[in-house]
Amino acid sequence: MNRNYYILTAIMLILAIGTVFIHERKYTSELPASELLWDILQPSRFVTTDQVAKRIIEKDPSLLLIDVRSASEYNKFSLPNAVNVPFDSIETATGQQYFGNPGTKVVLFGNDGILSNRVWILLRRLDLKNNYVMRGGLNEWIETIIQPKMPKQTDPETSFEQYNFRRAARLYFTGAKVVTGNMKKVKVVFKKRKRAAVAAGGC
Amino acid sequence: MNVHELNPKKTLGVLIVLVIVVIIGFLTMKPSPYDYKLNVNQSIQLLKDTSEINFYPYELVDVLNHKNKNVVLIDLRNKYAFGRGHIPGALSIPSFDLTHKKNLRLLKDYKKNGLTVVLYSNNQLSADGPWFFFRQIGFNNVRVLLGGYNYFLKHKNNLAATRFDNSYIKGIERFNYAKVSKSSDKSFEVNQNNKPKPVIFKRRKREAVAAGGC
Repeated sequence: MNRNYYILTAIMLILAIGTVFIHERKYTSELPASELLWDILQPSRFVTTDQVAKRIIEKDPSLLLIDVRSASEYNKFSLPNAVNVPFDSIETATGQQYFGNPGTKVVLFGNDGILSNRVWILLRRLDLKNNYVMRGGLNEWIETIIQPKMPKQTDPETSFEQYNFRRAARLYFTGAKVVTGNMKKVKVVFKKRKRAAVAAGGC
Repeated sequence: MNVHELNPKKTLGVLIVLVIVVIIGFLTMKPSPYDYKLNVNQSIQLLKDTSEINFYPYELVDVLNHKNKNVVLIDLRNKYAFGRGHIPGALSIPSFDLTHKKNLRLLKDYKKNGLTVVLYSNNQLSADGPWFFFRQIGFNNVRVLLGGYNYFLKHKNNLAATRFDNSYIKGIERFNYAKVSKSSDKSFEVNQNNKPKPVIFKRRKREAVAAGGC
């Protein structure tokens, strides 16, 4: 064949081999750090306790609650149908099975939201999406859903709507019975009015 | 005959130019400014040991009176919030500016000079994300101010006393969750329908009719 084609092939081979050496970074499945920082700065991963309560009550099938605290804390109390994936086991096989499933929205929670936020960051670093963080964690859950505070008279209408929702949610989550008062039948007693003594010598 | 075979010199010339362009492209390729220095497992271990994470509000006392010159405070809120009020001596770097190269260079300088960098925002959560990120890319001199600016504002006149306060500690249960979530828990009054007070009608007493009337 033509000598030039040999030269061409040789140059292409040298270039191809060269690219192997030039790329120092190992190819991993992790998100590049600059993109991770950008995602950390977005607030879109946070959900409120009200939103989570609503989804639990509506029995949203795409919701998956994950408790990132230790097993002992999880056993003492957790949210209904929550799964326990302690933060130090997110890389294990049992931990990984809950993440990255299309169609599932994972909501991470802990006591305050700090730990679950950090877990979110690590999951995002592993290029996993569709994870959310419940802002305020279980402490906020108690303060808003289980023990909602009555809004002041001067607060806007939306505060009252939210308060009514929280009261109803509280009944759902604590199984409290609604107290409607005694419905016993009332006995009716007629008391004859004593006739006042007629004044003597009257008209 | 192929057109390339007819002009071998021209073909070779074009190809050499192409190769040179590609080589220049490789050589001038900028490496990413951030590189993970901790892998995921090491980052998880970091979460368990809080000694290098937290900066306590009472430690600010020494920073504010310049006894401790090894601490740099960085305010991550936007410029307007910073202008309205910030911790004295803090540097303003709005969190979205953290992606700028010049701020990264600044952090590298601080690390080289052995300074501790304390990040804070309105609450601890907003500063915690960036803190964790910087730890993972190798800045092990970065800490988070517990309680954030909100806590500082409330206690700035008696920071030393906050040593014994634990309201800024995050991650602990502030309620006995299981107990509080039971319906038998009476600590929270469900019955908030104030019963209407019974209305009392006072009948005006009929005055005695004067005798000897009709």
